[in-house]
Amino acid sequence: MSTNERIIEARELTKTFSGGVVALDRFTLAVRRGEVVVIIGPSGSGKSTFLRCLNGLEEIDSGSIVIDGIPLDRHRKNRLLIRREVGMVFQSFNLFPHMTARENIDLAQIRVRKKTRTGAAETTMNLLAKVGITEKADRYPHELSGGQQQRVAIARALAMSPKVMLFDEATSALDPEMIGEVLDVMRTLAAEGMTMVIVTHEMGFAREAGDRIVFMESGRIVEEGDAERFFAFPREERTRAFLGQIL
Amino acid sequence: MTKTKIRFIPLDAVLIVLILAAGTYLVRRIGVEMDYHWQWPVILQYLVRTDGGSWAAGSLTQGFLTTIKLSLWATFLATFFGTIMGLMRVSHSLFHRLIAGSYVELVRNLPPLILVFIVYFFIGERIMTVFGVENFIRSASPETQSMLTAIFAPPARLSGFFAGLATLVLYEAAYITEIVRAGIQSIEKGQWEAAHALGLSRGQQLRDVILPQALRRILPALAGQIISTIKDSAIVSVISIPELTFQGLELMSATYLTFEVWITITALYFILTFSFSLGVRRLETAWQK
Ligand SMILES: Nc1ncnc2c1ncn2[C@@H]1O[C@H](COP(=O)(O)OP(=O)(O)OP(=O)(O)O)[C@@H](O)[C@H]1O
Ligand SMILES: [Mg+2]
Repeated sequence: MSTNERIIEARELTKTFSGGVVALDRFTLAVRRGEVVVIIGPSGSGKSTFLRCLNGLEEIDSGSIVIDGIPLDRHRKNRLLIRREVGMVFQSFNLFPHMTARENIDLAQIRVRKKTRTGAAETTMNLLAKVGITEKADRYPHELSGGQQQRVAIARALAMSPKVMLFDEATSALDPEMIGEVLDVMRTLAAEGMTMVIVTHEMGFAREAGDRIVFMESGRIVEEGDAERFFAFPREERTRAFLGQIL
Repeated sequence: MTKTKIRFIPLDAVLIVLILAAGTYLVRRIGVEMDYHWQWPVILQYLVRTDGGSWAAGSLTQGFLTTIKLSLWATFLATFFGTIMGLMRVSHSLFHRLIAGSYVELVRNLPPLILVFIVYFFIGERIMTVFGVENFIRSASPETQSMLTAIFAPPARLSGFFAGLATLVLYEAAYITEIVRAGIQSIEKGQWEAAHALGLSRGQQLRDVILPQALRRILPALAGQIISTIKDSAIVSVISIPELTFQGLELMSATYLTFEVWITITALYFILTFSFSLGVRRLETAWQK
């Protein structure tokens, strides 16, 4: 793998929270451009912490993160650049409740990408069409179903034209009948070649949409591998136990 | 909040009649028992004077206007200053947090009356002179002077007015600081994180995402504090600023019409605070989309 191919390079990440919880323990992972990596693992294993470190929401204690050639270091400018290139979708949607769907998606385009209102409006409508809720453009978040809110949240992240998308349990807060519509949008993104790092409990989706599966526990990688192989022939005893529990 | 339409039922009519009756009885008793002679017409001439045929504001009305000016400026400046201090309270910089924190603690632990004197004797007497404010005003053109009179106070009273204003701003802003801080901290962490993940700078996160939501939440508390500002403006009467309370005190020592004077003053303060409350309530309903 040439370094250019590796759009995310995380080396030896360590993160200890106050209270002594080791959330990441010399965690190393590289992601190729266009790859879809699915991270699975028991609760508290450090999955969210890893995603949050990738866009600077959480500070690492040691190790290094390089995203598309930019090191996530102390330099403010680099940190800001990385935040712009990495989109994130949260379990709890986190839409801005005082803005309509359209305004949620417009905001960063205008403020960060410095687009004009009309320029942003076009992108926004395209994105709303892509996630299939054009007719809800002028609705406020509280007027939308959970699935619709999460789709707006995905469109909002995509509006920055990020190079990488992170999904932290994007469907965990949804009623079962709405999970499908969000997974469909994620599938489309994967098919279009978006680089994605996905934390999920949807094993069916992981198997079918993921290129690579990473199973982690206690801040470390227990096993990783090609999606088909991983589910068909898990190598580690611990992996088998985990899969046995949730499948 | 659900909107309930106010309906007038027979019981309301009965209650109003009872209250009126009790009021009338009280007034009559005061007249009879205490041998008190109500002299409302006297008060009237302190509200409106007839100056050789033309109408002019009496001393009470002038005091009322001064209270309004003082409250308006204090509200405006305290909201501004309090917002900045509130932002400093939640700043990432320890230095900012320390400054704003000390300010709040200091002001909230001082009796406002002491604060008036401190500000009056330091700012009113010394600083104004040092910075040549008084000289500047004295040598200003008549147009400037009349403009200053209209928006603040007559030139001779300006430094006192500013000292009173500064006290009120300093005092009320400390409470507004805490209201703003609580409002900002009440916004879910996820909102900051989503804004952060979109690449917004901290200033943009605040301006576009956090403050608009915080403002809606703190509006009731802020309105309460502004009403307090109107009420607290009475303390500056101790440094002889001719606002409503001061004029009331003066009038009472001149006429001894205790009841009439204080009933009038009460009514005037009430008009001010109540009309403000009504305005805020309308704003709140308008925002409750
Ligand atoms: N802000 C924090 N302060 C203290 N401890 C934290 C904090 N955030 C996470 N932790 C701890 O770090 C560990 C890893 O947490 P993390 O959220 O990354 O787990 P996770 O794999 O995402 O779990 P889940 O599946 O429950 O979301 C946990 O033990 C958690 O309690
Ligand atoms: Mg998590």
